[in-house]
Amino acid sequence: MNRPRTSTGQLLLVSLMGLAVSVVGCHKHPDDKPTVALIVKSLANEFFKTMEEGARAHHDQHQDEYDLKVIGIKNETDVTQQIECVELVMAQGVDAIVIAPADSKALVPVCKRAMDAGIVVVNIDNKLDADVLREKNATIPFVGPDNRKGAAMAGTYLADRLQRGDEVAIIEGAPNAFNGIQRKQGFEDAMQAAGMNVVSSQTGYWETDKAQPVASALINGHPDLKAILCANDSMALGAVAALRDAGKGRSVYVIGFDNIAAAQRLLKEGRILCTVDQHADKLASFGIEHALQMLKGEAAGVDQETPVDLITAEML
Amino acid sequence: MAGDYLGMVVALLALVIVFSLSAKNFFTATTFRTIANQIPDTTIVAVGMTFVLIIAGIDLSVSSVLALAGAVLGIVLVNWGWPLPLAIVVCLVVGLVCGAVNGLVVVRWRLPSFIVTLGMLEAARGAAYRVTQSRTIYVGGPLEAITDTTILGLSLPLIGAILIVVVGQLVLSRTVFGRYLIAIGTNEEAVRLSGIDPRPYKVAVFLLCSSLAAVAAVIRAARMSSANPNAAIGFELEVIAAVVIGGTSLMGGRGSVVRSFFGVLIIAVLGAGLAQIGAQEHTKRLISGCVIVLAVILDQYRRRVRNA
Repeated sequence: MNRPRTSTGQLLLVSLMGLAVSVVGCHKHPDDKPTVALIVKSLANEFFKTMEEGARAHHDQHQDEYDLKVIGIKNETDVTQQIECVELVMAQGVDAIVIAPADSKALVPVCKRAMDAGIVVVNIDNKLDADVLREKNATIPFVGPDNRKGAAMAGTYLADRLQRGDEVAIIEGAPNAFNGIQRKQGFEDAMQAAGMNVVSSQTGYWETDKAQPVASALINGHPDLKAILCANDSMALGAVAALRDAGKGRSVYVIGFDNIAAAQRLLKEGRILCTVDQHADKLASFGIEHALQMLKGEAAGVDQETPVDLITAEML
Repeated sequence: MAGDYLGMVVALLALVIVFSLSAKNFFTATTFRTIANQIPDTTIVAVGMTFVLIIAGIDLSVSSVLALAGAVLGIVLVNWGWPLPLAIVVCLVVGLVCGAVNGLVVVRWRLPSFIVTLGMLEAARGAAYRVTQSRTIYVGGPLEAITDTTILGLSLPLIGAILIVVVGQLVLSRTVFGRYLIAIGTNEEAVRLSGIDPRPYKVAVFLLCSSLAAVAAVIRAARMSSANPNAAIGFELEVIAAVVIGGTSLMGGRGSVVRSFFGVLIIAVLGAGLAQIGAQEHTKRLISGCVIVLAVILDQYRRRVRNA
């Protein structure tokens, strides 16, 4: 790890540590507000941007209860950078960390270290890996939706419009993300229950640009394909573009997940059949509230399930 | 002239044959239709990139300029409600401004274009996130008419791309401007000593490249029905790869727009074919990487044989 970037990071960290010590030194009055750090993935991603805005709105209404810091990483899959973010806020002496981990396993050790330093840690959005948590002897409460259930709801809605044995394909999220795996499993649950033929399941890495060639290959390689189940709406946009490229318009159903603004328009036009809303705007607030309760010693740090809703054209 | 393109046509046909035999349903009208709809934006940017490489420069910023121009297009259309032609003009102006900054900084401070356009790659992407609040803007309707319009079975973007290739090739090989560019790429000092100021030509080339990225932004937004600030990440390398496969030298002074077009076709067929035989992303990238290097090695041999 002799890259110059790391050494700059360390330099920054050391100087911030110095700063933190001085801040913490004069900061621990009993009437002081706690500081909550919200660490998300990429703020360039609409979902996390919505999450951030939800958190800021929550903070605006509860300004006398806590201080908020929001930190995002540049690249959604840059695990190293997110670990450095956790180290940074630890050095800054925050009281609680609410984190949407970029990787379900790699973030566990640093979260454990934060807990050992007396910081309350709450896991949102993407659940940390249970085996690694057990191995590290850590319990971190998870506040978030059941992605598998949400995906199964969308899959069942789709299956009602298909015939038993129809060909369908899945475009998965990033392969190392737990929520991506859960959504895939939810889709598979619904397809299996309805007796559909899943001809292929490949990753589109959450992105429109990466999902579109995958969708093109699926559409051209399987002329009888009836539906494409996408693990998020960005990838559903890619699938819709691929259908246009192939001149197949609306002959193939596309379903998404997340209910982003662009997807709502496509829903209304009937180009996406349905999507799933897991209320990104409220997700961070739920996590923050959970952390605040834990700081007060009220919540026992148990998992909390947040709502997921199926969104169809009739509902808009 | 014909012999110049023969090798690439053979390579392209070989790829089509290999994939037709190995992938189910590859040799179908829908596959070729898909490829034809997906190449215009890459082709158009590849034309601009060919010019940049010919003057021994490089433009790493095309992907971000494309995203920024597309984002502005989306905002002007959806948030401001301007008519499509005006929105396209604004989008092209964004491209021109980015190109002007690239070109002027390169000549004013004599910086390597690699550095300047690397800066623009970051800055324009940041600006794209900023103006869109990181949100994908759905446009739909009016914009889709661009890709839905067909003349003699060819889509408007494809016809536009082919026209740009033809004009680009003519400018490069038949005009004084084009010859000067080749001269600048071969030996800039010699050009200066013979009394020609290379600076305006260099700025013009960066202007051209970014403007073509903005044209590609319109087409891409039409194809995706939306403007996405995350669009085209890594696209600059795809374009450079296509141009290099086409035999344009990274050292400057040598290149052909038509051959770049074949490079785009080869990359597109390779990508579609690999995806259709079920290759995963990692395999695709592994093979694409090898093909790029192999193509350049073959090109070197071909050149040596011809010059011998």
